[in-house]
Amino acid sequence: MTTLAADSDFPNPPNPPRLVNDFSSILSDAEMQLLEDSVEAIEKRTSNQITIVIIKSTGPYDIADYATQLGNQWGVGVKGRENGILLLVAIEDRKMTIATGRGLEGALTDAMCGRIIRNEIKPAFKQGLYLDGLLQAVSALDLATRGEYKGIDRKHAEKPRGFSIGLILFILLIIFILSKGNNNRGGGITPFLGGMLMGGGFGGGSNNDSDNGGFGGFGGGSFGGGGASGSW
Amino acid sequence: MKKFIPVGVLLLILFMGGCYSCNTQQSLVKKDEAVKSAWANVQTQYQRRADLIDNLVATVKGAANFEKETLTAVIEARASASKITMNANDLTPEKLQQFQASQGQLSQALGRLMVVSEQYPELKANQNFLALQDEIAGTENRIAFSRTSFNDAVQAYNITVRTFPNNLLAGMFGFQTKGMFEAEAGAQKAPKVQF
Repeated sequence: MTTLAADSDFPNPPNPPRLVNDFSSILSDAEMQLLEDSVEAIEKRTSNQITIVIIKSTGPYDIADYATQLGNQWGVGVKGRENGILLLVAIEDRKMTIATGRGLEGALTDAMCGRIIRNEIKPAFKQGLYLDGLLQAVSALDLATRGEYKGIDRKHAEKPRGFSIGLILFILLIIFILSKGNNNRGGGITPFLGGMLMGGGFGGGSNNDSDNGGFGGFGGGSFGGGGASGSW
Repeated sequence: MKKFIPVGVLLLILFMGGCYSCNTQQSLVKKDEAVKSAWANVQTQYQRRADLIDNLVATVKGAANFEKETLTAVIEARASASKITMNANDLTPEKLQQFQASQGQLSQALGRLMVVSEQYPELKANQNFLALQDEIAGTENRIAFSRTSFNDAVQAYNITVRTFPNNLLAGMFGFQTKGMFEAEAGAQKAPKVQF
């Protein structure tokens, strides 16, 4: 049952605000950034705030209860829309939970969250692939809020890092060659390719899109206890 | 002229007292409403759980020779819990205790059913069962959360009702202290949270 909350049991909201918060340092800086970029891209597109928090242990708290309280304390989501999602991982407990903001309970039912945990997170975590599990979960959560996640074919869930650095470098090289070699033909193809890069690279996480703006902070969303939990 | 001073003081006291009791009454009404709305949420969540249990029972019944005893215990606890209905205008400590006890029994029976179901691979592979399990777990968490909110609302209300001189006025206006959910016995001294 609910344990009386002591304030010291909950970490302070991150300052500057971040959506990915790894308090137990299981992700490298680069991995954190990759995750941060992918959830920030979703936040920009849909305003849904998928927040990832990794701690060691929830101690006496039931993990779902802890996530609900943490989500409320930080105010994950936008007030009025209540569109926060808190994905909490307790590494030493080997447990994870997805808490859904009140506004998302319709699209992201408890059963749906349970399916995402079982199909996307658990298999990866069992192999110690934390980043993979989290990326797959983020992508599945995003699809689910749009009613598109079915949770049957795991490989279908696209990875945000599908746009590889190599491909981007290759495109840059082509642009470079074209702009060098075709000065007289004007800027016909170069802006076109440049535009493609800008558009296509959005999900890549390795360009600078996140620099113009970044995550602006939590918006006072609230949680009523919806979601699902699991262990690995 | 001197005669009027005591009368004036008296009137002033009466006037101030009237203002005070009006304020108290208003604040009590407000807090009473907050309790009622928190209670409505508690009831919604318990009702949701009851509905899910019906579905769960139906699904489990379909599983090849599921332990009858466990299933019957849930069905019976579900039936007796639904008999105790509570009116938002009558949230006395005794009634709330009754309500909590019967729901607690249902929780226990349900917990046993979940444990027993682990032994049935057929159920563990059943998507419908897994979905119901998730929904019920989520509802338990919503119940826990709604109970905490309810307790907070009742606490705010009770403090106003009990403190002097409000307690005199509250009795006059017909405001009684209300019951709260008690923390279920369990891990009190457990390991600490670690970030």
